[in-house]
Amino acid sequence: MEIDDSRPSTVDPEVRAYVYSLVTALGGSSAELDGRYVLGDDALAVLKDLRRWLKHVDEKLNRFDVARSMAEANLLRGDLLQILASFPENIPEGGLKFKVALACLDLMVTLTWPLDIDDAQMTVGHHRHTPYLQLAQAGYKRAILGHDTTQILRTIVQITIPSMAQPRNERNTRDEDIIRLALYFFRNVVQIAHPADLPMDGEEAEISRSATIDTFADQDIFPFLLTIASSMGSEFVQQDVITLEILFHLLRGINPAKLFMEEQQLAKSNTKDFRDLLQKEKSMLSEYARHAPTRHNRFGAMVWVKRADNRMSTVSGQDVLGNSQRTLNKMDKSKKWNKPKQRSRKTGDDGAEFDVETPLSPSARNHLRSFIEDFLDSSFNPLFVQLRKAIEREADRVLKSHTSQFFYLISWFLKAECARREKKSAKSKGKTVAEEDEGFSLVASVLNQETFILLNRFMQSGVDNKMNIDVNAGMKCFTQILLTIQQMAESSNEDDQDIADNIQNRIFYEESTHDRIIRLVRSYKDQGFGYLDACTELAHVFIRMLEHYSKQNADLQIRSKRRARRKKKEKRKEKQANSGEDGNQEEDPQEDSEEEEEQDALQTTKERKFDFMRFSARFVNENCINTFIAFTKFYHELDAQQLKRAHRFFYRAAFKLEQSVLLFRADIIRLFHRMIEGPNGLDRQHASFKEWKELVKNVLRKLIKKVEERPELIVEILFSKMSPTLYYLQHGYDREVPKSV
Amino acid sequence: PTDGDDGLGIDREVPIGERKRRQPIAKLDSTLLTGPKGIPKLRSIAKKQLKFRGKGHEFSDTARLLNMYQLWLDELFPKAKFEDGLVMVEKLGHSKSVQSARKQWIDEERYGTSA
Repeated sequence: MEIDDSRPSTVDPEVRAYVYSLVTALGGSSAELDGRYVLGDDALAVLKDLRRWLKHVDEKLNRFDVARSMAEANLLRGDLLQILASFPENIPEGGLKFKVALACLDLMVTLTWPLDIDDAQMTVGHHRHTPYLQLAQAGYKRAILGHDTTQILRTIVQITIPSMAQPRNERNTRDEDIIRLALYFFRNVVQIAHPADLPMDGEEAEISRSATIDTFADQDIFPFLLTIASSMGSEFVQQDVITLEILFHLLRGINPAKLFMEEQQLAKSNTKDFRDLLQKEKSMLSEYARHAPTRHNRFGAMVWVKRADNRMSTVSGQDVLGNSQRTLNKMDKSKKWNKPKQRSRKTGDDGAEFDVETPLSPSARNHLRSFIEDFLDSSFNPLFVQLRKAIEREADRVLKSHTSQFFYLISWFLKAECARREKKSAKSKGKTVAEEDEGFSLVASVLNQETFILLNRFMQSGVDNKMNIDVNAGMKCFTQILLTIQQMAESSNEDDQDIADNIQNRIFYEESTHDRIIRLVRSYKDQGFGYLDACTELAHVFIRMLEHYSKQNADLQIRSKRRARRKKKEKRKEKQANSGEDGNQEEDPQEDSEEEEEQDALQTTKERKFDFMRFSARFVNENCINTFIAFTKFYHELDAQQLKRAHRFFYRAAFKLEQSVLLFRADIIRLFHRMIEGPNGLDRQHASFKEWKELVKNVLRKLIKKVEERPELIVEILFSKMSPTLYYLQHGYDREVPKSV
Repeated sequence: PTDGDDGLGIDREVPIGERKRRQPIAKLDSTLLTGPKGIPKLRSIAKKQLKFRGKGHEFSDTARLLNMYQLWLDELFPKAKFEDGLVMVEKLGHSKSVQSARKQWIDEERYGTSA
């Protein structure tokens, strides 16, 4: 006891004493029965007391003291799991054991509950206990997944089965609560991960995603989830968002394309990744070797650079000998001052939620793949229809984060479905094509107008409220929908083609969608790489599909709002011109507003012909180029596909739309030049190196020509171009503005 | 010893001069940029020294162009690295005074040098 007293009191000693005594009273291993666990006399009451402590101290007073004491007392591992393990397989419902098991589950759910609290509500106690509790939760998860005698998760499912077996209208609140508890428990177990800011101790493999998936498969949790998800909307209603959360935490960060690769194919792709990495390292080393000193480091060469006005600069080191370019680079490098950067407001895990890739072990991949296949076949449509309705209705159980998780999962499953189709078609190519595939009906529930409307609204509100995570999820979802539709249009099934055509027409019909995408690309400003990747991909896919579609449908109409407004102005002008001289201006405003109302009603029905050139020209402006430049700056980390995306954009800007002047800016030129010529350039073996070299060469050729033609560019290269002079710089003469009378 | 001094001059007061303040480093702002060391100088450098080799030498020509900017910027504002300097200059380009100067330069090239 003395030791306890000398410890700094992290927890109120009285609270700790109470909790410890309760934990002791719960039970213990018996000396008589070979050390088996024996319940205390009043175990049920003790469990209820513990629950009360958590509720009335921790929750009410906004503290973590009780939770911490319980973690220190090893309650979950030493008692709760032992109790569950000591019960026989099928616990009869209603008995004492059933009640005890339920109370254990209840406690476990509370103890494993996610610890994120709003920053504003964090107290000193929270800050003090959170790291400890995070580690404790990781320990809980390890104990639950790796319990040696009993399958804890399966036991939990068994507790819920009687409640689930009842038809929905005969279930009472208690049954619903039990189902909910079990689902929350699984959500918590999936969601717990090794705290990112604490050092790894080698044991995190036991609680990794792979381990979780393996355990889920072993203990038949996947069939349980499928049961609930497939009868979502009929037998189960309230459980939709928890299921969503479980799926989200289970699937986020996993690459669906890799999931559906064949073993061999995956091995090949892994080998390829490895080879790429080796290649990258090799080129890095050779890059270094090219510039490395050939003699020892105290050889002490010194070089001077003669500059204008007979001034000199000196640079030391033999690596700069004989190459003026390197000398200049070194001069620059040796400067100590760095421009102070504006720290962007840290919003915690911006994008980390979606964009960190999680690797899987082979066995976990197989388990997860079969689950995903079953899920797509049976549960995708019912679950996502139900979720969409719940979100639309703004049901109480739907939290803010659920909507973005919803859209993230849509994009994930669409990608998975595409990967599966590809795999299937690759397989059936060798054999006969007799096997009629079921079309896209398996994912049809998210390819309807209702979803598009919801998605549009969601993205718009995300943009308006600057919710980066929301926008990120929305963009990913929209991109994936577009890609799916593209696949549909290319499928051999005529119905699919018709549907795809119809959907495309509807998507491209709204001018507001076009505007939003342009706005998303334009408004990028340090939202993180995941966001950047998502918005450039969306722009790329959208432009490409729209181009394709508008070529096929020459008279594509879009619904536009601006047109109507302009007309209104003209009309007003006319009116004023007509009535202005009469002097009865008091009447005018009234009439005007009436007119406006009329026009507002008209506005929505205005249609005009779509002009792709004009649309794509709107992408070519300083902001969009900045976004793509920011993206290209990551060229070392980008894969071939991503580099291609940037390449297409710049190609379109510089040559198809002939706005190369916008690229003539010193930082862009420097980036392009460095990518090809180094130092630290793009790897020459890279798949898209050739393309890029060609592009950069052409841009630079244009640049040199233009600079020779128009010496004023020497100055203008330093700056963003001013809109009045832009046209002149590009063409050499002013734009002829049609003068309106 | 004449006046009780020990001859070492320990007791004598040493006048402590005002510590010289360092001359402040000129900031990179629009006056510096449009001043004689700034863009006017860049223009004259470019006229005098910049020669291109033309087609087939895109990369070396560009390197020459970039080096010119780098040396000019180093002269103008030695503190900053090239990349940082470029960003700072670009930012200054949005200010009113620099913009009007830019317009003037463009017009000069366009309609022949005006006095």
